[in-house]
Parts: sequence; C-alpha cells; structure tokens
Amino acid sequence: MTQSVGRPLNRVDGRDKVTGTARYAADQPVAGLTHAVLVQSTIASGRIKAIDTRAARSAPGVLGVYTHENLPRFAYRPDGYTFPYGQSLVPMQDDTIRYGGQHLAMVVAGTPEQARHAAALVEVDYDVEPPIIGLRANLDRAYAPPTTVPGVIQLERGDPGDGLDRAEVRIEAEYSTSINHHNPIEPSATLAVWEGEDLTLYESTQSMSFTQEVVARMLGMPRERVRVVVPYLGGGFGCKGFVWPHTYLTAAVARVVGRPVKLVLTRAQMYTSCGHRPESVQRVRLGASKDGRLTGLTHHVISHTASHDLVNFTVIASPQAVYACPNLRVSTELVEVNLGTTIATRPPSGPTNEVLEMALDELSLELGVDPIALRLANYTDRDPATGARQTRYLRECYELGAERFGWRRRKPEPGSTRAGEMLVGTGMAGSFHNWHGMTAQASVEIDTNGRAFVRSGTQDIGTGTYTIMTQIAADALGMRPSSVRPRLGDTRLPPAASSSGSATAVTVGTAVREAGRAAREKVIGIAIADPRSPLHGAASAAVETADDRLFLKARPRRGETYRDVLARHGSPVEAQGNADLANQAGGSYGAVFAEVHVSTVTGEVRVTRLVGAVDVGRVLNPKTARSQAIGGMIWGIGMALTEHTLVDRRLGRIVTANLAGYLIPVEADVPDIDVIFVDKPAPDASALGARGMGEVTGTGTVAAIANAVHHATGRRVRQLPITPDLLLGPRE
Amino acid sequence: MKAFRYARATSQANAVTLASADPTAVYIAGGTETLNLIRDGLLAPDLLVDVNAVPADGIAWGRDVVRIGALTSMAAVAGDARIRTRLPVLSEALSASASAQVRNMASVGGNLMQRTRCWYYRDAALPCNTRIPGSGCPAIEGENRWHAILGGSEHCIKVHPSDMAVALTALDATILIRDAQGERRVPIGDFYRLPGSTPHVETALPRGGLIVGVEIPSGLTRSRSGYRKVRDRASFEFALVSVAVSLDMDGDAVREARIALGGVAPRPWRAVEAEEAVRGRRLDPDVLEAAAEAAVRGAVPREHNGFKVELVRRTLADVLARIGGKR
Amino acid sequence: MDGDADGQVSRRQVIVAGTVLAAGATVAPAAGQRPAAAATHAVPEVVGPGEVEVSLRVNGTIRETAVEPRVTLLDALRDRLRLTGTKKGCDHGECGACTVLIDGRRAKSCLTLAIMQTGAAITTIEGLAGSERLHPMQAAFIERDAFQCGFCTPGQIMSAVGMLAEGRPRSRAEIRDRMSGNLCRCSAYPNIVDAISDVAEGRR
Ligand SMILES: Cc1cc2nc3c(=O)[nH]c(=O)nc-3n(C[C@H](O)[C@H](O)[C@H](O)COP(=O)(O)OP(=O)(O)OC[C@H]3O[C@@H](n4cnc5c(N)ncnc54)[C@H](O)[C@@H]3O)c2cc1C
Ligand code: FES
Ligand code: FES
Repeated sequence: MTQSVGRPLNRVDGRDKVTGTARYAADQPVAGLTHAVLVQSTIASGRIKAIDTRAARSAPGVLGVYTHENLPRFAYRPDGYTFPYGQSLVPMQDDTIRYGGQHLAMVVAGTPEQARHAAALVEVDYDVEPPIIGLRANLDRAYAPPTTVPGVIQLERGDPGDGLDRAEVRIEAEYSTSINHHNPIEPSATLAVWEGEDLTLYESTQSMSFTQEVVARMLGMPRERVRVVVPYLGGGFGCKGFVWPHTYLTAAVARVVGRPVKLVLTRAQMYTSCGHRPESVQRVRLGASKDGRLTGLTHHVISHTASHDLVNFTVIASPQAVYACPNLRVSTELVEVNLGTTIATRPPSGPTNEVLEMALDELSLELGVDPIALRLANYTDRDPATGARQTRYLRECYELGAERFGWRRRKPEPGSTRAGEMLVGTGMAGSFHNWHGMTAQASVEIDTNGRAFVRSGTQDIGTGTYTIMTQIAADALGMRPSSVRPRLGDTRLPPAASSSGSATAVTVGTAVREAGRAAREKVIGIAIADPRSPLHGAASAAVETADDRLFLKARPRRGETYRDVLARHGSPVEAQGNADLANQAGGSYGAVFAEVHVSTVTGEVRVTRLVGAVDVGRVLNPKTARSQAIGGMIWGIGMALTEHTLVDRRLGRIVTANLAGYLIPVEADVPDIDVIFVDKPAPDASALGARGMGEVTGTGTVAAIANAVHHATGRRVRQLPITPDLLLGPRE
Repeated sequence: MKAFRYARATSQANAVTLASADPTAVYIAGGTETLNLIRDGLLAPDLLVDVNAVPADGIAWGRDVVRIGALTSMAAVAGDARIRTRLPVLSEALSASASAQVRNMASVGGNLMQRTRCWYYRDAALPCNTRIPGSGCPAIEGENRWHAILGGSEHCIKVHPSDMAVALTALDATILIRDAQGERRVPIGDFYRLPGSTPHVETALPRGGLIVGVEIPSGLTRSRSGYRKVRDRASFEFALVSVAVSLDMDGDAVREARIALGGVAPRPWRAVEAEEAVRGRRLDPDVLEAAAEAAVRGAVPREHNGFKVELVRRTLADVLARIGGKR
Repeated sequence: MDGDADGQVSRRQVIVAGTVLAAGATVAPAAGQRPAAAATHAVPEVVGPGEVEVSLRVNGTIRETAVEPRVTLLDALRDRLRLTGTKKGCDHGECGACTVLIDGRRAKSCLTLAIMQTGAAITTIEGLAGSERLHPMQAAFIERDAFQCGFCTPGQIMSAVGMLAEGRPRSRAEIRDRMSGNLCRCSAYPNIVDAISDVAEGRR
C-alpha cells in the first residue's frame, strides 16, 4: 500500500489558485454590497477636538459616516492586552488618540470610489501632544516589566555573574533590530453580512474561532450567531492571527447600515491596523572556556511596546533552550511608545535567536574555533528546564548542511576571498523555534459514491493544510488522495484552533487521522456485517484498506471498494476525530548556511547561496514543506538586508507605509535555495511524528547572512537590516 | 479619488487646447504616476486629458539628433537595439527603472514629469513645501536617508526619482514642448528647477504644455556611456545613488565628459566640476579621485544621508574607470 | 449614482475609440484596433465625471459596463465584471498582484483607468486558458509548487506569460530580474523561477 503522507503531492487547491477561482475574503460575491473605508488619525498622541463629517455625509453615494460620536458602544472592552484581541484599545469610543493610524471614522458608500473619496472629506481637528517615538531615543524610559506581562521573560539559571567571571574568553556586544511589518500581499479584509440576528463574516484571518469569539463578545451576541468563512487566506504571518478592531467595527457598522459591508484595508493602513514587530536593542554577554564551552550567558532585550498595550513580542526563546549553558540570565525591558500594538511576526523568536547566533559567531572568532565546532561544544539534547531527553537531530543538521554547502573548504579569515569587485563570505547559524500544539476537531464522511469528505474548521494560510488533510485522511482510510475532498475555512465545520505557531499541520492532522481511522472502522464494521459483502464474517482486524478498497490481509484479492460497501449501505458514514495537543511542546531545530557577495564599491550585499538543514520530525509533504522552508529563509534575507519601517520621531508617523519604501525581497534578491530535511519521526512531539515547521525555518538565515557579511568584509554590523551605507568601509 | 472628467486627445493641438482650457487639467499617458498622485490626494484634477492617442510615438534616427517621441514606452526605448548599442547609458538607466510592467505602460514624457518620491511629499497628511508652500519640510530634521545632499535648500531636500532623466542629462538632451504658443525646445539642464524658496515650482513646463519628445545629439551615439544604480534591493527600487557617464575618448585621455548623478539632488544633477576634473586627462587613480571629490563638493549631508557623499564618490570613480576602459 | 459632488446631472455616455456616442448606441471596437486609429483633429468630447458606458474586451468577450472615469481597470474587473481572479495588493503599482495582459503585454491594472482601455484586448487569469485545460504556465506553477497562499499567483502567472512573450530569457538570473515587479510574501521565488524555466525550455 502506497502511503500518501511523506510524498510530494501537488497542492490539491492548486488548480483554484492558478486559475483565479480561489475566493479570498474580498472576492466574495455578495448581493447589495456596500463599501467601507477607514479614516485614521494622522497624529500619534492627543485628542480629537472636533470631527467634521458633513462634507463626507453629503458626498455622492454615501450611506453613513461613523465616528465616536455616533457609533453604538461596544459591549466589551478588554482590560489591558488580552489574547486573542489584537489590541485592547477599542477605537471610535472616545476622543483620545494613542497612536498614529488609530481608526477615527468609517465611511460607507455604494461604490469603493465613492467611499474612498468621501473618506478624504472627513476633517479632524486635533489637540496634538508630542508623541514618544523611537526606542534608542527613549532608552532612559526602559523598565523591567513583571512576567505577568505577556511574552516577558525574566529568567536566571545557575550563577551567570560567576559563570562570566570564570570564563577564559568573553565577548560583550550590543545589537539592534528594526521595526518590521508582516505585509502579506492580501491586505486584511472583512465582509460583514447580517441576516436578522445572524452575522456572516468573510474574513482574512488565521483564526476563525478567535474571530468568532471576539466579534460575538464585542457585539454582545451569542457565539453561535457569528459565522466566519475563510476558504482562502492570502498570507498572514502573524498579523492575521489576532482579531483587530477593523473586523468588529465593520460588523457593527454593517448592522447599523442594514446592508452587507466590505472593508479592505489599504496597504498604508496595513502598517497601523494589525500590529508590527517592535524594534529592539539587545545586549549579549558570552563567556566560555578555551575549548568553547559556554560558562555564562546573559541576553538582555529592550524593545518597545504600545503605551496602551503592554506586551512583549521580542520573545527570548533560544538562549535558554538550544545550548547547554549552566549559568544564564535572560531579561526583558520595555519602552512605551505611541505606536500601534506590537504583535508576533514570523518568526516570533527571530530577533533574539538571530542576535544570539551573531554573538556566537563573534565568540567563535574570539576563540579561534570553527562556528560549528563551537555549537557542538555546547550541544545538548535535553530539555534545559526539565532535563528530559528529547528527540533532537540538530547534530545531523550541522553535518548535512555543512556537507551540502561545502563548509569545510571555508577559509576562516575574514576578507580572504574576492571575486572581481565583490568580497565573498560565508556564514552559518542555528535555527530554533519553540513549538506548541493546539486543539482541533475533524470529521470524515464517506458518501454513497465512496468519496470521502474530510472537514475541519481550520484555515489554509498557504501552508498546505488542504493538501495535508487530504493526505492524512487518505492514508487513514486506505484511499487514494483523489478520492478525498477536504473542506475547511468555515466555523460550521468541526472547530479547530488558529493557524499560527507552527501548530496546524500537526494538530489538525492528528484529528483528521483519528476521524479517518474511526470512519474506516465503521465501514469495515458495515462490510463484515453485510452478507452481500465478500468480507462478510471476517474479523475486523483481518481487514486491510488501500487504494479505495477493503480486503482481507491474507487474501488481498478478496475484497471490495468503499463505494461498493457504501452504495449497498445506502447512506453516508461519518466519524469524528479529536486532537488535544495543547500540552505538547518542544523545539524544532536547524542550521542555515549562507554565502554573500559584498560590493567593495557600493556596499551592496547580495545573497548568492543558501542551504538550510532542519529537523522538524517527520515531513508530511516534502513539496509543500520545502516551500515553507524556502519562504522562511527568504524572510530572513529581508530582515537581514532590506526590511525596516521608518517612523518620523516628531510626527509619530510611519513614512515607509507602502511596498516601495518598505522593501520586502523581490525575485532578484533570492538565490537558489537548498533545503535538507532530516526527516526522522519525533514520536515525543506528536503521533504523526511531525513537529512544528512553519517558524523554525524562518530563523537562522538572518544571522547566517550577517555572519557571512562579516566573513566577507571583516566588518561586524550589529544592526539590522545591513544596508549598503553600513558597509561603506575605508576605501581601497 | 476625486471624480473627474475625461477626454481622449487625438492630436497634439487638441491635447493642448483641452488642457489649457481647464486650470486643473492633467495629462495622463501611461498613468503609472498620475493615478497614484490622484489616489493619494496629491493632485486633484477636474479633467484628465488622455494623450495616448496623440501621435508622438517612436524613435527617429536623424542626421543631427535622435528624437524619441514622448509617448514611446520606457520598455520600447530600453529594448531598442540601436539605443542599446549606441546609447547604452539610456538603455541601462531605463532597464534599471521600476518593473517590467511599469516600463511597458509608462511613457518617456510621463517619466520626465514624475514627482519626487520623498515620503513627506507623498503623504497628504503631512506638511511639505512642495505640496503646500509654506507648510514646512519635515524631511530636513526627519527621516532623510533618501534625501538630497546637493541642490537642496532650507525649504526642501527632495530627490528627483527618474533614472532616465539622469541618463538624458548625461546625454545633453533637449526637451520638446508644445503649448498654445507653439513648440519650444528646452535643454534638460534648464528644464528642472532647484527648490530654492519655491519648491513647488519644479519644471519649466508651462501650464497646458505637452512634452512631445526629447532629442539627443547624434554625435553622442559615438561616445562611450554607462549607468550604475545603487540600491538596497537588487531590483524594483528607486536609486539611493546613481551615476550616468558619457565619455568621448581620445586614446587614453578623456576629450569630453558628461556626468550626471541621480538620487542626490532635487533634479538630475549635472556634475560639471567632475567633468572638468577629467577633461583632457587620463583616468588615473588621482584623476578619478579628483573627479569624485569634485562631484560632492558643497554637499550638505543630513542626519541619515551622509553616506551618500561617500557612495557618490565611489560609484562615480567606478563608473568612470569602467567606461573609460580601465576596468 | 445620478449626480456628482457639484450637483451636476451626469450623462450616461458611451465611449468607444476616442469618440463619444449617444447612450445606447454601443459600438464594439474591431479586434486589434487601438483608439489611435480613430484620431481626428476636432476637439474630443469630454465625458464624466458621472458614469460612462464603456465596452471592454476582456478574455475575448466584449463586456459593457458603466464606470466613472476615475475607476481603475483593476476595480472595473473586480467590482464591475466580477473577475476577482486579478488581485489588489497595494493599489500603487508596487506589488504586481493586479498584473493582466493588455494587448498581450503585461501591465498593472491598478495603474490604468478602465476608460483608457476601451478597445484594448485584456486578458486576465480567468481567460488565460480554455475552461477545462490549464495554460502550461498554470500547470508548471502547480507542479513546481510556485505559490503558497496563492494571492500573488494570478499576477505572477500573467507576468510570467507576458515576460516570455517579450523574449526568451537566457538565464535564471534574467528571469529573476524580469520578474522582480511581482512580489510574493510567501516567498515562492525559487519555485516561480523553476516553473518559468520549465515553460521557457519547453518542458511543459
Ligand atoms: C512601483 C513603481 C516603481 C518605480 N520605480 C522607478 C524607478 O526605479 N526609476 C524611475 O525612473 N522611475 C520609477 N517609477 C516611476 C515611473 O517611471 C513613472 O511612473 C513613469 O515613468 C511615468 O510615466 P507615465 O507615462 O506612466 O506617466 P503618467 O502617470 O501618465 O504621467 C505622469 C505625470 O506626467 C504628466 N505627463 C505625462 N505625459 C506628459 C506629456 N507628454 N507632457 C507633459 N506632461 C505629461 C502627467 O500629467 C503626470 O503629471 C516607478 C513607478 C512605480 C509605480
Ligand atoms: S495592486 Fe497593482 S501593483 Fe499592487
Ligand atoms: S503565494 Fe502568497 S504571496 Fe505569493
């Protein structure tokens, strides 16, 4: 029997995506649709003195203009930052302004053009207060928050002071990272349709269940009356993993307007309406013995947070998890600024992982040991908190990656290789992501034609959930993938958690497998009880299934198809599956190798080669998994070299709120990329043997590139992104 | 986007007539700039005059001049075989501009008339002396990594974003303009205005004036030329700094040099002193150094763009050496 | 809508090939004929700002629709003609998600007005292949997994088809440069190059 899981099946939703028939939130054809546009604050701190909507209201086609003066009050207001609310600040409820881009009004009109024009006519008169903007400029405001603030880690193990004192070699350095924006190509969209007391939301969300929960709570209605539909999502990367005000505002306004309302955020609004990754300043001290063993490590992270939402999304995960260092301290400080709420950004632990991996590179040079040797000297396969042994194939990642990359041929001295105008350098770094399972339900129904329908209320955010569900169900049933039809993206389906934190494939997959197995058992039960079946009277354990057939293990030719059984049975068979992996957690690991060319004329850096080797347990679909890994690594190119959001300090305004000033990598920035999966099951992670993979591959690349830049040029840039201006060293 | 009226001109004359009759009228050619400006509230025309049906297309190779019609697309110019071999600086500058789709749509005339990409100018919610005279220039004290080091004033430090205009500046191009009074010719060096105390006056184009073409002296097709554009991203980005050079060589020595810089000034920046530094000289390291120095003489760097001074020096020395045959 | 901001009553007008006809008398432009062909020296009529009847030739079919002059081709396709395969990622020419072919050349449909494209042949992702078959580029994108979320994909495919029509790329590096007007945040970039190379080299 050929297993589907583990094979490079093409995406089952591929055809819809390449023909343009895949419908995303803003594509839904809804009769009587009206169009909403948000008006946002152009100042970052202060009050609304007056808001004049007269011109907007009398503009052609306008159906309504809503502000804090006329929008009904919401039923709930989160008390401080509360997951899964994107932010606790509920806009359009009063006249205070806490950040630039805060929603102040929503205009609804008959056509998108009319709504956009009318929105431009809303006049706001402000009382302006000087905003607090910029981490570096406000470091004197940094304070250590308690660990009750979400995401804040203050942890000490052993005696870091003593560990550093005893070290034979020490490095100490300060690094900084920039504000980043998720920028999925699909802007967030909400399409709200009321029918009586029932609300349907076509929503670009990574989590229908969160959307349902939050919208119901905000509007003071029962959860069951909110249906959320998201058959396709145009990327999220964290910014669609939380529920933001524009979603419930649209729902509330649609109720008042009495017509379906569609809101699509503009690209500029995507910079202030759904979170960002904060800036950080990070101080790292590493101490080691001459043989490279870490004796002490401190990693102190200062990042900004919104003054209205205390939360830390510069998550410190790798220092205490990856390496065997007995004495360490990780600590967090926050600076409150007048920006929107900070939020998880693919990968949440990226900035701290990269900085640690850059610092290790500095240490390896100081010690004169190879960067891989340094990491091996501190290798552990135990969970540092509990001491429990884990299946961890990081050693294999180093080996396989180094082999493929040709690491052994590397000359360690920086600046030693030149190709014409270009300095050539190579670097490596470790990848790590702390993975958490979630919960999910699924059902499998087999109809009288013998086709299986697998359903789960999850989302496919581009990671291949449709395909993995199909493969897992096919294997559980003993069917061909082509006989399986997946359905997801609707809260009417069995509920499943959000698509984030690398948990979907594993969690939903586990539920699907259970449902598939249960459905198979039922069908076998029907067959062996049916005198018309060739399997009549067989013991159920003696029956095998494969290629859409049920047959006797001992005599494979004796059997029949699912279709035969179900056709006689005359009604569909359905079974449920349940996965609760909420207590499952663990790390996914890897290593990334990069080669860069740095122009001696201009300081421009181009990545010429990337190899990633990752251990994510069992690989469910090597084709879609490779795509995800490549994607994560290319995010690393952006964070390393081009991506930074600039905010004007005095105006509190993001000035690069577009895709021409905020530079995500383009095709020309990306070399061919090699991805190696260790592909050994991790039974301690999940019954499928798979672990989270979405995020881990997004770590390591930044540091590998930064380390390669140092190797190329001898210049250590401790600031991201590494733009050409930072590399204009002394002239030759 | 404000509602507007629309007319499709069918001749140069009726385009000018239509546009001159309405003080808010705006031409639209490729549309790749106009629509963004209107959408973002930076232009609010009552009338849009579509000039795509106006005959002003194509490249004509005359005895004295090469004439490029204003409606010729960026892609057509960049891809033209003769432009590629005889005026490489122009083809290289255009190929490094925007994206393939934009190059297919956009016209030479529209390219010359594109507005600055200064993010304060582009954000209608912010002050900007170019947009609203007297409102202030937040770039001077603000986020000015992209801004001018040359030719700015205390009222404005925007940068002209066109790559093509930099190449045309190094090719001594003349801009052909048609207005109600007839046709006139403006050397590109006189076409773009420095901000001074009137940053809102950007070009010499009269109201209702239609660019009908550009002319490049045929003699320059025998020069060696080239373009180099420096940017953070490998493609699809405006220049941090760019250099266009056209050289007439006399053996190893430079007989005549035309040097223009992009990404550094409110207009394509002709580096006259750098030209003088190489004229009559061999491109030895000290000459390159002198030219590089001369190019940035008088530069006024701001908080975040000081690197452009060094970047110009190096990029210019590199391009000169490469075009002059040293590399 | 029936009136504009200034309270003028807008006429419903039909605009075809540079001349304005009375409402109702819709004339389909001849295949391949661009507006330039109808050049005259009389001062052309001004239409709008209210809705104007335009006929767009989309995927081989003439589609009549009433749009204000300010409506972009992208919005006309998506909101008026319900051809939602073409995506809006930025509305400023910066992402490429809205790429369509206009007279066989790739263009960003957010950067042109619907009214400017009367008479042009517009091809969107929906019209790239016949109803059942896939265009080789579509098939190659599936085979090479050249997308994840799929949102940039219609634009990528139209751009790729347009690029090959402009001339065969000589190298992967050239494909990369010529495809840089299409952003993919899922970052399927290497797979997109694979898919295009397959088609360019006749492997599909
Ligand atoms: C995402 C993006 C990236 C870009 N990157 C670059 C880049 O790297 N380098 C670069 O150089 N450019 C770049 N551009 C700018 C691009 O080159 C211009 O938008 C384009 O050249 C404008 O030409 P158009 O025909 O589309 O102009 P239109 O939008 O039609 O017109 C632009 C302006 O010129 C006026 N105009 C048009 N034609 C005439 C005429 N014949 N006479 C008088 N006035 C006229 C219009 O009224 C309008 O004000 C980029 C643009 C975009 C959208
Ligand atoms: S939507 Fe047109 S390029 Fe982004
Ligand atoms: S596939 Fe998601 S943006 Fe390209």
